[in-house]
Amino acid sequence: MAVTGPASGPAAGPDGPIAPLGCGRDAALVWDRTEAGLPPDEHERDCPHCSATFAEADRLHRLVHRMAAEPVEPPPSVLERAMGAVRTEFRQRDLLELASPHGPARLSRPAAAAVLRHAVDRMAGMRARSCRIEQAAGPGPDGQPAAADVMITVTARFGVELASVTARVRQMVLAAGEQALGVPVRRVDIDVVDVFEDGQP
Amino acid sequence: MTGATPPLRVLVSDTAVARVAAHRALAVPGVLALQADLTQTALGIAGAWLGPGGRSAPPAGAAAEVRDQTVQVALTVVTGLGQNCRDLAQAVQRAVAAEIAGYTGLVATVTVTISEVLLDA
Amino acid sequence: MVTQDRVQPEPVGSVPGRHRVPPADELDETTLVVRAQEGDPNAFEALARRHQAALYRVAVRVMGDPVEAEDALQEALIDAWRRIDRFRTESSFATWMYRIVTNRCLSLLRRRRPIPVGDIDDRRPGPDDPGRSAELDAGLTALGRAVQALPDELRVCWVLRELAGLSYLDIAQITQASEGAVRGRIHRARVRLAEVMASWR
Repeated sequence: MAVTGPASGPAAGPDGPIAPLGCGRDAALVWDRTEAGLPPDEHERDCPHCSATFAEADRLHRLVHRMAAEPVEPPPSVLERAMGAVRTEFRQRDLLELASPHGPARLSRPAAAAVLRHAVDRMAGMRARSCRIEQAAGPGPDGQPAAADVMITVTARFGVELASVTARVRQMVLAAGEQALGVPVRRVDIDVVDVFEDGQP
Repeated sequence: MTGATPPLRVLVSDTAVARVAAHRALAVPGVLALQADLTQTALGIAGAWLGPGGRSAPPAGAAAEVRDQTVQVALTVVTGLGQNCRDLAQAVQRAVAAEIAGYTGLVATVTVTISEVLLDA
Repeated sequence: MVTQDRVQPEPVGSVPGRHRVPPADELDETTLVVRAQEGDPNAFEALARRHQAALYRVAVRVMGDPVEAEDALQEALIDAWRRIDRFRTESSFATWMYRIVTNRCLSLLRRRRPIPVGDIDDRRPGPDDPGRSAELDAGLTALGRAVQALPDELRVCWVLRELAGLSYLDIAQITQASEGAVRGRIHRARVRLAEVMASWR
């Protein structure tokens, strides 16, 4: 059995201090150095405690390295089931009100945000990152559901003319709100937070 | 009082109404599917969408509660780009309410929730 | 389950004014996280795909059983979706996910009936059991069993370090222990494994 030092003495719990090697050195340090691929230093080469620890650590490390290199993939069913739950889980608070004389009509807020982000993504030169839609609760002054305020953060392609592109994006979002969602949009704020180059994620 | 026919009471189950509602909703142009709610997921039918012609008991994405003279119906609808969500919701409400009135004689309040807009449908 | 087909990208320039919408898996991680926080399940799925193999590897070695690891990973993904609005985008998403998976594994382990050490050989097949009994892999099998025999606390830290390659600081955050305690646990695990492997040989 190797001269490595006790894994846990009677006085030490699972998190108690590690007893040093016979020469006084920290056993954990020797192990860490082995794992990092560092060669033994002068003391470690000569010291029987350290060199035995080193050899033991090296042997184990090779086996562990093989274990770590094994390809392991989860079966597709894991992601399928998780996404099944994710997609059908309904956060009731995430609903926008749609105008209707026939009863309550609602639109999922994330679904609406995805439509608006998609409209932005279709414009060359911009990609939507975040899209927040806020709608005041309760009917507006005309008895209809309140209009929505949209806040979008985007990344822009390096070199595009920001002023005109953001103006076009604003128009797109207003139009998409009206035509695709049926939700009147009162305000569109666009925040350019980053730039990307073509081909970059 | 004499000679008057006794009133005819029709009892319709919640499930029957839900099934009628689901069937009619799926026929509305722009409705791609109804989306199963959390109950279906708990039963292990993860992400189950009921398309036209499908059957499950109870119908996915449709629920109904029959009261004395009225019925509450809730539908969870999936659509795609190219629709106006507000107009679609209203169209579903009108069509389903009319269908239920014709079938049961009951006045229906139809709540429509559009849960997803498919971007590549 | 209905599967959604990917948007077919149109060649740039084929339709004037149109532009290829980047599919979710090309987006940078920050964008994906923000979208997932806003309720976009496709963005969340892209994140899950990127990280699931690494997370599964940890779960497999912590649980010692691929089926339980699948359950742990599935529940962890759903957990992550529900709590993602509490994730701070400045920190590492990977570390955050490791923490959720580790906590899931620990709670499954706590619910397990304890297996007497002598019965370990009779358990159902582990990740690298018969099927591959070549001499080269006999060492890995033995190491796998030795890892399973470690106390839970030691095994978790050891797996996060040796198989996931995480830093002591990350592991301390993940396990909510001090860095010193983590160092100690990993050292004790290594020493025990070395002892078992030495006597196996």
